[in-house]
Amino acid sequence: MTMTKIKLRFNQQQLELIDNTVRSGESNSREDLIRRALREFAKANLPQPEKDQ
Amino acid sequence: MTSSDRKLLYELVIQPGTGKALEMRRGQVLRISQTSGRQCADFNCFNLHDYKEFFHTGRTRHLHGLHPTTGDFLWSAPPRERPMMAIIEDTVGTNDVLYPRCSAFLFEYQYGLPVHTNCHDIQAEAQREYGLTPDDVHDSFNFFMHTGVGQDGHPFIAKNTAGPGDYVELLALIDVLAVPNVCGADVMMTSDFELKPLKLSLYEGTEADWARVTEPPKMRSQRNPLNYKVKNIKSDRELYKDATYTPDFTNVPIEIADVEVELSAEEMGLLSEFSKTGKYGDTDADVLRYVFFTWWIDEFMRGPKHVPKA
Repeated sequence: MTMTKIKLRFNQQQLELIDNTVRSGESNSREDLIRRALREFAKANLPQPEKDQ
Repeated sequence: MTSSDRKLLYELVIQPGTGKALEMRRGQVLRISQTSGRQCADFNCFNLHDYKEFFHTGRTRHLHGLHPTTGDFLWSAPPRERPMMAIIEDTVGTNDVLYPRCSAFLFEYQYGLPVHTNCHDIQAEAQREYGLTPDDVHDSFNFFMHTGVGQDGHPFIAKNTAGPGDYVELLALIDVLAVPNVCGADVMMTSDFELKPLKLSLYEGTEADWARVTEPPKMRSQRNPLNYKVKNIKSDRELYKDATYTPDFTNVPIEIADVEVELSAEEMGLLSEFSKTGKYGDTDADVLRYVFFTWWIDEFMRGPKHVPKA
């Protein structure tokens, strides 16, 4: 599977928020949490493909 | 809650052009009532034991919107940032924390009236009874002031809808100096171009009053003078440099780190959908960070979100 690497810039306070969220059990890692955000944000804000009847 | 269920401690009708500073202990209730109706009441309040803690329109507006009403708090300014009073009843629902107090300057500049009743000077005169100066008057909570914001982003004042006998009730959550005044604006829409008296009733609060208040947040960041590096209030007006000062800002230096995220082709497809709108940032990394925090705010943040819909 083709994977693309994206390098995000965060400061220590933003990382604290991310790490707190991971520690609370919302995700396994920073990276997983960011991918979850993308998928859920897209589901909420992009038109969803129509399912076959 | 009917007033007959409570013990009345004090009652006063304040006349047009006047206000009154009232000492309130925690648990007491102030009712501000209309007499003939359609009258705006401006309001200041201070911590009775430390006047440097006072009501802050900004934080109140941030947390409760432009028109706070029953169930909302009157917050003090940062870094104290705690509820000073709770609105436990509001029979009208047209309060305002957007407009500043009217002032002598405003009437002179806009109307050519250099000597005119105005909320700043009325507040200052009422607060003088407790040794406060005109510089201590702060932006007011405007009860019964019917306002809005137009499509062009400019605020407006609408017709006052408060009728005779309408009232708001405030429960003191700490000991306060509460200072209501009859708004002095008689050449604006604020009070329908006529100044009318307001009735003030101070009651001993009851358990039923406390039952109407939700538990406010208590955070470590709500500080008081014991936490301040400078603990004493300046007693002179001149500003001069402290030669011993060494900067000690929070979390400084701000340090940047990279987090590398691998995205599948499907995830890249989603990201590119956001990128091509041009609304979220210039690079894929900027867009993904925007998406992440916007999602996080929606998912986890407490209180009002303050973000536009995607």
